[in-house]
Amino acid sequence: MTALLGRFSPQTLRLVALALALLATVLFFATQIEGYLAPRMFNRITTSAAVVLPLAVGQAIVVMTRNIDLSVGSILGVVAYIVGDTLGSLPDLHPVLVVAFCMALGAVLGAVNGVLVAWGRVPSIIVTLGTLALYRTFLVEWSDARTITTAGLPQWLVDLPQATAFSLGALEVRVTVVLAVGACLMAGAALAFLRPARRFYAVGSNPDAAAIAGINAARVVALAFVISGAMAGLSGFLFLAKFGNITVVAGMGMELKSVAAVVVGGVSIMGGSGSMLGVLMGALLVDTIDNSLTRWAVVSEFWRDALLGFLIMAAVTLDTLAARSLARMRRGGGA
Amino acid sequence: MNRLKTWEGGLLVVFLMTLALNLAFAPEFLTVQNQINLFQLSIEKIIVALVMTLVILNAEIDLSVASVMGLSAAAFGFLVNAGWGGGTAILVCLMIGLAAGAVNAALSARLGIPSLVVTLAMLIAFRGLARVLVRDESLGDFPAWVTDLGQKGLIGPVPLSLILFAALLAVLGVLLHRTGFGRQVVVIGTNAEVARFSGINVARVKTVLFLMSGTVSALAGLLYAARLGSVRGDSALGFELDIITMVLLGGVSIFGGKGSMTGVLLSILIILNLRNGMALMSITGHIQTGVIGVLLIGSVLLPNLVSDWRARRARS
Amino acid sequence: MPQPLFEGSADVTQSPVLELRSVSKSFAATQALKDLSLAVMPGEVHAIVGENGAGKSTLIKIMTGVHRPDAGEVLVDGRAVTLRSTQEAQEAGIAAIYQEPMVFPDLNVAENIFISRRGQGLVMRWPGLYREAARLIDQLGVTLDVTRAASGLTLAEQQTVEIARALSLSVKVLIMDEPTASLSAHEVARLLSIARALKAQGVAVIYISHRLDEIFRIADRVTVIRDGQHISTRPIAEVTEDGMVRDMVGRAMESFAVKAAANPHGAAMLSVRGLGRAGVFRGIDFDLHKGEVLCLAGLVGARRTDVALALFGIAPATEGQIALEGRPVTIRSPRAAMDLGLAYVSEDRRKLGLALTLPIFANISLASLRKLLGAFGLIDRRAETALAEGYRRQLAIKSPDVGIEVGKLSGGNQQKVMLAKWLETKPRVLIFDEPTRGIDVGAKAEVHGIIRALAAEGVAVLVISSDLPEVLALADRVLVMREGRQAGILPIEEATQERVIGLAAGQERDAA
Repeated sequence: MTALLGRFSPQTLRLVALALALLATVLFFATQIEGYLAPRMFNRITTSAAVVLPLAVGQAIVVMTRNIDLSVGSILGVVAYIVGDTLGSLPDLHPVLVVAFCMALGAVLGAVNGVLVAWGRVPSIIVTLGTLALYRTFLVEWSDARTITTAGLPQWLVDLPQATAFSLGALEVRVTVVLAVGACLMAGAALAFLRPARRFYAVGSNPDAAAIAGINAARVVALAFVISGAMAGLSGFLFLAKFGNITVVAGMGMELKSVAAVVVGGVSIMGGSGSMLGVLMGALLVDTIDNSLTRWAVVSEFWRDALLGFLIMAAVTLDTLAARSLARMRRGGGA
Repeated sequence: MNRLKTWEGGLLVVFLMTLALNLAFAPEFLTVQNQINLFQLSIEKIIVALVMTLVILNAEIDLSVASVMGLSAAAFGFLVNAGWGGGTAILVCLMIGLAAGAVNAALSARLGIPSLVVTLAMLIAFRGLARVLVRDESLGDFPAWVTDLGQKGLIGPVPLSLILFAALLAVLGVLLHRTGFGRQVVVIGTNAEVARFSGINVARVKTVLFLMSGTVSALAGLLYAARLGSVRGDSALGFELDIITMVLLGGVSIFGGKGSMTGVLLSILIILNLRNGMALMSITGHIQTGVIGVLLIGSVLLPNLVSDWRARRARS
Repeated sequence: MPQPLFEGSADVTQSPVLELRSVSKSFAATQALKDLSLAVMPGEVHAIVGENGAGKSTLIKIMTGVHRPDAGEVLVDGRAVTLRSTQEAQEAGIAAIYQEPMVFPDLNVAENIFISRRGQGLVMRWPGLYREAARLIDQLGVTLDVTRAASGLTLAEQQTVEIARALSLSVKVLIMDEPTASLSAHEVARLLSIARALKAQGVAVIYISHRLDEIFRIADRVTVIRDGQHISTRPIAEVTEDGMVRDMVGRAMESFAVKAAANPHGAAMLSVRGLGRAGVFRGIDFDLHKGEVLCLAGLVGARRTDVALALFGIAPATEGQIALEGRPVTIRSPRAAMDLGLAYVSEDRRKLGLALTLPIFANISLASLRKLLGAFGLIDRRAETALAEGYRRQLAIKSPDVGIEVGKLSGGNQQKVMLAKWLETKPRVLIFDEPTRGIDVGAKAEVHGIIRALAAEGVAVLVISSDLPEVLALADRVLVMREGRQAGILPIEEATQERVIGLAAGQERDAA
């Protein structure tokens, strides 16, 4: 067994374990909840996960560089609200421009984080804890306690959550899902094949070696935060589409979900490694558990957050223990 | 040492400025009752800030403090409404805080997972447990003696929480600056390896600090419940922002090893007066939070910029 | 025969690929390099030898662009260059590898190799990358799976990756700084053959090492530096071990202040039998007596510090027995070691021995806080200050007062503060790791005096030192280690520099 396990890289094993966990979860809830395996449930879960997925992608890139971004929930809220507000006055804006605007706005907010972390040398936990509060404050002031309603939004946006991109037999795959998954896979492809993107891994894997190898670590870290912000902007767009009615508390707490998806997805909190496939499955698993719990009579829905926290803890603990025993096995076998 | 003295000197100046600001708005600002009210508004936060000072000096962080506060408050409301006596409920809640600290300690000090991640996960988990207990209700109906302790003066006009704050300030200040344990805390925060090589049981010190943090947070949660007279699932939500800001603004280095209780006290006074002044100027709570966010970032950014500037001057 | 440019240069018709002309460099009060000139020919293995503190690391830093010389010039291929960073040095064709490999553990071998190369294009073409990486590794005569993550590699393999990385940058001069310190004999052989492969490709290798046997195996020419100055450069055929040592040390062998005879000493305080730690060291046997100074000699990488770490409970032994005054003990933590009366003065005072941002008195009391506590665990500040003042006088620590941050003191005074910390624990056994590393001559003499005084008081002293004259001046007996094994124990009467180096470098096996 150990010989077989030794053939695959730890990362591959992690992904397989994650896939099995996802499968087990789905099967478990299928036995507990009526009509769980129906297309409607599939849509509920996937469209819900679609909102968190870009957030998780951005968070993963930041975590890869040994940082963390707790402001993404606030960035999501700001973007969803401001864009929703703007669309009231500019209803004829082309959908692609709307998405671009969302991401650009998010990128700017992310750039503030990036500059403070990379050049101000303020630890990311401090910066993003601060901008989490600042951006939310800004939103409250901008909004003047108004709520964005679907009445003010263009029809295409209101209809977007229902729009289907294609069908797989009885399963309909929504446009929003394709958008989110597409962004995730593109990020994955970039990280695997674009030379500049590999630097995210390098900076997180060994910051000292990065300097010697001629990599401008500050720029790489700043870029990671810009991307995280842009992804939060994309999530803001999907959030706006999904809910239509946006209040000032939009996105509150979602940064924690993105961290959960990232950690469960196998991205190392020490930086330097992580795959987008894992993030995809992590976001799916977190959201599946979340959505299924609300429909499971045995456990009240109020357990959602508690279980989320325990899930993160379990994932990190198991990863740490596994890494340690792997290192011990290797040391024992080698010189 | 000098850098710290300069920082504290600066804090003193800022404090006096905020004091002047408040006086300008309300000449009767310096009455005993007004000062008591000033502290009471954030008393639970500043109590936790005292323990957080030691945690951060130790080069760790505890992001779960506000969630433990909320959980403790929720547990109190839950138990009292389920028929338990106030005294027993208080004891159970303190035990919950201790247990929370134990979990944090076990995972970070013993298992070696960075405290940032552990306490972030616990922030979520404990808040979730609070929600399980309180759901979406508001639980009140506390015994009269509890709310009296929380809201009325105990010794003269001074309420229990303020007395506890003063006591904790004295005890932790002495512990940090005058005892062997405090010395160990600072050395570990400066360089954990040196501490280890000098025979200090690093894991034990870290465990004690996390246990303290959990218990004091639980105590603060109880005081909060008593003062408000009721608890909700989101009691003390987001308090960690203020708490961490108070500590870092006080000149404590986020990397550990540097800082003093005096600085944190000054920073607490500044933030209390600032919030009060802003309220007097009809600045909303949200903007106040934004200002705290700026202070948080600034308290770390400013020393970095200054040391950069100094280094550049030394080179040329 | 044309007049050689430098003493013993192999081929005067070739021009040097790297040349230093009259380079000087000082840091604050210390003159690290003084008017040093050196020429390295393409395709040669040029060894540089020198004691600790001779200026080797400054030399490397000047060659790799970390520092700029105060005077003199650096020439590459005959052209004067100003190297402002390791980047620029790499672009000029100069690269270095050190004891600590700088690899990215999460990236695979191929990516690690090509990470610094410029102009590779936006898209990663993995198959081509793997092929090229495999080719480079092949050129070095090694087999490695280039798709593996670097974290899974041994130290020797990581070093190979670094060398391949330098090759990918078309390096002209590769500096190897103590590269074999942590390698097994087999891995050393492989590294030396890699050096030969580099030679064959016209790359010059600057080989800095203490290990004389390796130098004799691989070098074409040997340069000795001492106190920041160039002493000699000779072709290997003209080099003898004695000659090298004489050049390194600067004194004739006979005039050493070698300890004439061992001091009388008492009963065995610390007894060690078959001590070992899996994969690190094994088979260590010795008795350390009261009032004796036992020196642990050996080359860099002999694992002497690991023995100390095992005795002190930082990295406990996995086999063997330790006994104190005849009683067997198990030591699993520093606290346990300290309770048994052991003290360990670390070789890395900045990272492991001292809290640099804390004042002198806080550092001195650090290992003995228990004794200074009064009621409620309060520190008796007056006693603490008095304690520090006492040591300031006793050890002649030069500082206006004991409240100054230790980081601001000179190396010698820092060493004394660290020593004071451990002396205060009133140890029965004191392990002193590199007692005079990086301190000036005056302080060095003072520290030696302290060690002798301690022994005279009956403390059992174990000194780990890479400084041969120091070993011979202090030791009652010399235990020589080599690559994690015990090579032999010599009483001082029989210890000479040649015998010690012989045991340490592996040309002799002693039955003692």
